[in-house]
Amino acid sequence: MSATQRQSVVAPVLVCVLALALWEGVVRINHIPHYILPAPSLVAQTLWSDLPSLLPSMWFTIKITAGALLLAVVGGVLLAAVFASSRRIENAFFPLAIVLQVTPIVAIAPLILIYIESTTVALLICAFIVAFFPILANTVVGLRSADANLRDLFTLYGASRWQRLHLLLVPSALPYFLAGLRIAGGLALIGAVVAEFAAGAAGRETGLASRILEASFRTEIPRMFAALVLVSMVGIGIFLVFDWLARRLLGRWHDTEMHQSSN
Amino acid sequence: MKAVIGLSYYRPMPNLPDPSVALSMQGIGVRFPTGVQALDQLDLELCRGEFLSLLGPSGCGKSTALRLAAGLAQPTTGTMQRAPDMRLGFVFQEPTLMPWATVFDNVRLPLRLQGRSVASVRGEVMQVLDLVGLTEFVNAYPRELSGGMRMRVSIARALATRPNLLLLDEPFAALDEITRGRLDDDLLRIWQEQSLTVVFVTHSVYEAVYLSSRIAVFSGRPGRIVESIDIDAALTRDEAFRASERYARWCVQASAQLSRAYA
Repeated sequence: MSATQRQSVVAPVLVCVLALALWEGVVRINHIPHYILPAPSLVAQTLWSDLPSLLPSMWFTIKITAGALLLAVVGGVLLAAVFASSRRIENAFFPLAIVLQVTPIVAIAPLILIYIESTTVALLICAFIVAFFPILANTVVGLRSADANLRDLFTLYGASRWQRLHLLLVPSALPYFLAGLRIAGGLALIGAVVAEFAAGAAGRETGLASRILEASFRTEIPRMFAALVLVSMVGIGIFLVFDWLARRLLGRWHDTEMHQSSN
Repeated sequence: MKAVIGLSYYRPMPNLPDPSVALSMQGIGVRFPTGVQALDQLDLELCRGEFLSLLGPSGCGKSTALRLAAGLAQPTTGTMQRAPDMRLGFVFQEPTLMPWATVFDNVRLPLRLQGRSVASVRGEVMQVLDLVGLTEFVNAYPRELSGGMRMRVSIARALATRPNLLLLDEPFAALDEITRGRLDDDLLRIWQEQSLTVVFVTHSVYEAVYLSSRIAVFSGRPGRIVESIDIDAALTRDEAFRASERYARWCVQASAQLSRAYA
């Protein structure tokens, strides 16, 4: 590991450790009761002891998030391809996509929950609605971003539509798509959690948001924090997966992924 | 008479007046949708084996003339004919490489668009890379190369289909003096070795005189050819040529024409 790489790991870890230590210290010195603010050590303890009951919920949240993301990728990319091929269609439908994007999901979720019988499907739809816009918007821009001279070159050599698509447009759009995917990943998780809060669902087949709600009804604050930690971990996991994916796919050719090696 | 030019790679053109003519433009006018008259009454006859430079002020329409020759633009009036056996290579002002593809894949692109497999073109690709002295960098990505090397890759790509008509649009304008001089010499060597016909767009008087067998001086917008200067093709182009009195005389002549064109 190079010096700069070590620095990029050491500094954030140090900040985290310091923040946790400060939190622990404040709680202990002021004798703050655990039902108001539990110390990190207690949260960790609770996380460990409650893990068997929290893990299935985490798995459920992951499934909703991943499913919504998958739908968003398929829907967003297909719609982007249609938009990119016709300005007229884009002009007609883009405002609709924007309306979906700007309306807070918390406000739509109750309606969706009323119309859709299966809570799981309703959650999936909510998470999909928030995740799909960044993929759509970025992919449209990406598909249009292909270099004008390269387009001419493809024309000059009589490229077919298929060759133009997979040799020019798709690679040009890839960095934009991946940036959209990274945003959509975080949003899908937020959508899944928020919609579940709105649903106020209970029972076995529910996610981490339901665990947080339940714990709050019983004022089990440490358990709320424990579930919150798991939500964050899912978010971090999504981020790391897409970061790795971008690195793998863009690798040596794209500027945004070259900073580490060129510095 | 309606212009007979298609966007396909090349299309047989009827009744070229003379078999030694590679390309002919008669009474060409181009008016952009914005209303700008880019070219007006342009007449140009390009003979096989010529190294013709189109010299003129920026924005005089010489690039447009080159795009017409390539079939990338259509004339509003006049006719453009290309000999049916002309195979085109085009070099843009920027290297216009695909950043996601290696040098090998960039150079292979025209052959790939013709539907040829990797295995069948490997030899040809290496041959043109050898021609521009880049065989060592076959697996490099564009961003890992210098500006001059990228331009060489661009030239190699244009040569990949074994063209007999090479069109270059101010290809070395963004390069430093030394690199530019080297690429000028490479281009001359390739022109001779491959017995190409070359059309070279430039705004540099010195480059035009050094390279060309004929210089067509453009007027300011709307562009047309105001003067044709023949440069003795048999002369060896080297440092001695650059230092010779004849070179100086041609430069003075071309400069005088050019300043008249600016006026």
